[in-house]
Amino acid sequence: MALLRMKKAFFSNVAVSGGPITLDLAAGERVALDFATPVEATIVALLAAGIAKASTGSVLIGDYDPRVQSVHCKRIAGFVAHEPVALDPAAFPHYVAYRAALWNIDARWAQAHAQQLRTRLEGIHEAFAYPLIGALIGMPQLLVIDRPQAAYARQILDVAGDLALLSTHAHPAAAGAFA
Amino acid sequence: MTPRAFAAMLRARLYVSRRLVLYAWAVAVLVALVQPAGVTAPLFCCSLLAVAIALDQTPGRHPHLDRCEQSAPLFGRELARAKAVVPCLAGLIATIAYALVQVGRGSPDAGATLLVVSPAAVASALVALSATVRLGWTRVLYILLACATSAAAYALAVSQRLVLAEIVFCAIVAFAALRQYGETLARWDPLWTPRP
Repeated sequence: MALLRMKKAFFSNVAVSGGPITLDLAAGERVALDFATPVEATIVALLAAGIAKASTGSVLIGDYDPRVQSVHCKRIAGFVAHEPVALDPAAFPHYVAYRAALWNIDARWAQAHAQQLRTRLEGIHEAFAYPLIGALIGMPQLLVIDRPQAAYARQILDVAGDLALLSTHAHPAAAGAFA
Repeated sequence: MTPRAFAAMLRARLYVSRRLVLYAWAVAVLVALVQPAGVTAPLFCCSLLAVAIALDQTPGRHPHLDRCEQSAPLFGRELARAKAVVPCLAGLIATIAYALVQVGRGSPDAGATLLVVSPAAVASALVALSATVRLGWTRVLYILLACATSAAAYALAVSQRLVLAEIVFCAIVAFAALRQYGETLARWDPLWTPRP
């Protein structure tokens, strides 16, 4: 069963537009999409995570439509934004507690899991590692990453493990690192 | 939304707005020291402070918090309630600070300040929240509406001495404004970015 189905999904508002895109992504599969512009990459990532709603076409995340069942979609898809997060390492437990509270995850389990992930992401700058850890403690089945750093591809693919992974890129070499 | 998620959002929002909230309380104390008598000064001062803190919730000012909230499995109305508490709480505490200074300076109006100003500050803040999700003249219109809410509260409670009517008016305005803000957030386009 496809975890993410996008059929001619297109987004536009007065300022930006992106798509149309058609793809099927099953559990455990991964796809790296390369786009001409960073804006287009962000739009498709937000569509795939159920955060932005398609203007035309359709997006189904685990059979849920983000336009009417966005909460269900967001339980399935974890989103990692491109922008790094300026967080002091001392604030990391607070960040984990915040994310765990929003996703209603057991706080102690989330802290332990986050520490485990942090160890596995050794070598990745905190500003890029923390948002990824934040997305993973929500226990998503699908991980959507907007323009991840190609230099961290090995560690990111390692922690993503068996999750379905969709990454968007604005450079063919970066997309190649995640393919 | 669980109380835990609500508290986490409130804590995070108050933390990122902490300087603005502290400055707001400082302004309330300073104005109270200059003008301890009556409820006119605290009504307009605390309402404007609540409006300013409401405008700090504009998407784009704290982008990482915005993204976390948008990607969390929460309904728009739940997000709206949690975000709305921040300016309301800051406005209420500014009102309490004002009243405490009035007590300290021997003014008899502290009780009236709490009774009259609190609903006005909350209603103005909730109306101003709708400005945070709009651009251009509609944004200006909502800010003016928030100011008009304070003016109407003043007209009812101070000019006409109808305190109960003022409280009812503010409650109705606050309810409608919060519902509208929730509806707007539910239809929110995360790729729309106002100028921070």
